[in-house]
Amino acid sequence: MAILEVLHYPDPRLRNRARPVEHVDERVRQLVDDMLETMYAAPGIGLAAVQVNVPLRVITIDCSESRNEPVCLINPTIEAEEGELEAEEGCLSVPGVYESVTRSRWIRVRALDRDGEPIELEAEDLLAVCVQHEMDHLEGILFVDYLSRLKQARIRRRTKKLQRQT
Amino acid sequence: MDAEPGLRARAAALEVLRQVLCGGRSLGRCLEARSALPDRRDEALAREICFGVLRRRSSLAHVLDVLLRRQLAADDSDVEIALLIGLYQLIYTRISPHAAVSTSVSLARHLGKPRAAPLVNGVLRNFLRRRGALSAGIARSGRPERSHPRWLVDAVRRAWPARWREILHANDARAPMTLRVNTARVGRERYLDRLREHAVEAWPVPHCEQAITLARPRDVSELPGFLSGEVSVQDAAAQLAAPLLDPAAGARVLDACAAPGGKTAHLLERCPSLELTAVDVDRERAGRIEGTLARLGLPARVRCADAASPGEWWDGREFHHVLLDVPCSATGVIRRHPDLRWLRRPEDPERLARRQSRLLEGTWPLLARGGTLLYATCSILPSENDDVIARFLAAHRDARVGPNHAIWGIATGHGRQVLPGDDGMDGFYYALLVKA
Repeated sequence: MAILEVLHYPDPRLRNRARPVEHVDERVRQLVDDMLETMYAAPGIGLAAVQVNVPLRVITIDCSESRNEPVCLINPTIEAEEGELEAEEGCLSVPGVYESVTRSRWIRVRALDRDGEPIELEAEDLLAVCVQHEMDHLEGILFVDYLSRLKQARIRRRTKKLQRQT
Repeated sequence: MDAEPGLRARAAALEVLRQVLCGGRSLGRCLEARSALPDRRDEALAREICFGVLRRRSSLAHVLDVLLRRQLAADDSDVEIALLIGLYQLIYTRISPHAAVSTSVSLARHLGKPRAAPLVNGVLRNFLRRRGALSAGIARSGRPERSHPRWLVDAVRRAWPARWREILHANDARAPMTLRVNTARVGRERYLDRLREHAVEAWPVPHCEQAITLARPRDVSELPGFLSGEVSVQDAAAQLAAPLLDPAAGARVLDACAAPGGKTAHLLERCPSLELTAVDVDRERAGRIEGTLARLGLPARVRCADAASPGEWWDGREFHHVLLDVPCSATGVIRRHPDLRWLRRPEDPERLARRQSRLLEGTWPLLARGGTLLYATCSILPSENDDVIARFLAAHRDARVGPNHAIWGIATGHGRQVLPGDDGMDGFYYALLVKA
């Protein structure tokens, strides 16, 4: 296991569209384990492979209070969705920015698990928001894209300033 | 997705504090060994929490004792640190109580101890409810003699019976960020103008021709001319060394315990034609001298060696001046290293005094007749300062105390002592010896 480096906005690699995983093999399982470790260490509640510069359709999530219910979704697709929910989101790739985004309150997702077995997951509230947020990464979309252009420009300026290294 | 605003800063602080408080490692090394958080405000908060918790550790532990109904389990020292982090924010910062409590509760979960979350929540909310009643206790526990280990309080009290409280207070205060302007490149007044242009509030320091103190600490990358070597970060007390030694052009100078090279650089900035040898016994730290000098574009011979054993490195040519900035208890710079008071042991000053004497004995023969040796420590304990010099003078007929017309600090028997906070400076001791 290893902690991977997380890309930061506005890194263009965050805009890559992720490829489907063809075979869930040992390398993919290693990626999942590293992503989980990276996510827990941050600490974060969700991570997409794109964020650690691997353009594959893999996401890891743990929204549980006890931080011991990891979920891994490979090649996820949304089968059904209902309702609306506005919630504040933050992203490990956009440190220090927290803004409200509206998403579906309930979703049903099909995916493969860490062993390559098909699974179906019904999620609501925070878990639903988190799955949608991570699935956006697979399309190269970031939560800040939903904000007004004015806000986006302000965030870009601020991140640049705050990320300037010594 | 990110977990919660501000949790990353607290989680990073917790990890560092765990290494310091449970692993006995030094705060400086722990902070250096990790990679900084991507958001600079998070990083600043993480550092502030680390320094603050260590500075206020006794007071915080005292409040926690009152609030906890039962002892925490031995393997819950990480939960205790999460509680100290929460209490520190509630008592000593302007962070909203809600944010302080909720991030502390999340810390318990982050530690993989969700069963401790209700405890953290309960203790911190209990504190907020009873804050009024507890504040008298906090005021009492805030007395600086509680924020230092007993042996250190006693040692400072014995050394400075009239000023010990003031010294302990200064140890708990934040140290200012002070710069040394390379006046060969840019005048101090001119550089102060440039800081004003960059909206950095700053003022000149008395007694130090090159020193500027900033109103608030800044990241060095925000300082104009830092990378090109126009300024360095160095406390004003450390900037007293070079003018005291005041070598003439072309003189042969030994900086015997030189790392990380701040005083070495200052000597060379004032007088670039010096033939300067910088020695340090620690290989990693000796490497930092080279880094310091490279940024400033200054020439010196750097050797990794024990200055007290010149056979290993000395070319046999005598030096006109020796700067002997010996390893010490660092009791004068506790305000910069809040972990130090907990890492030091009562027997340290005595052990260090033996090493200091050995370094003095080892380097004295390298000094030419008529030359000067400047003995320096960042200690405020006489056992490492005047006592070492007195023993040396008694044993060496060719050594006498040189003229010191300085007006800073306090005249001791053989040298001058700056106490922490005097003129905003770190605690330092200097004694100038002349070889007959």
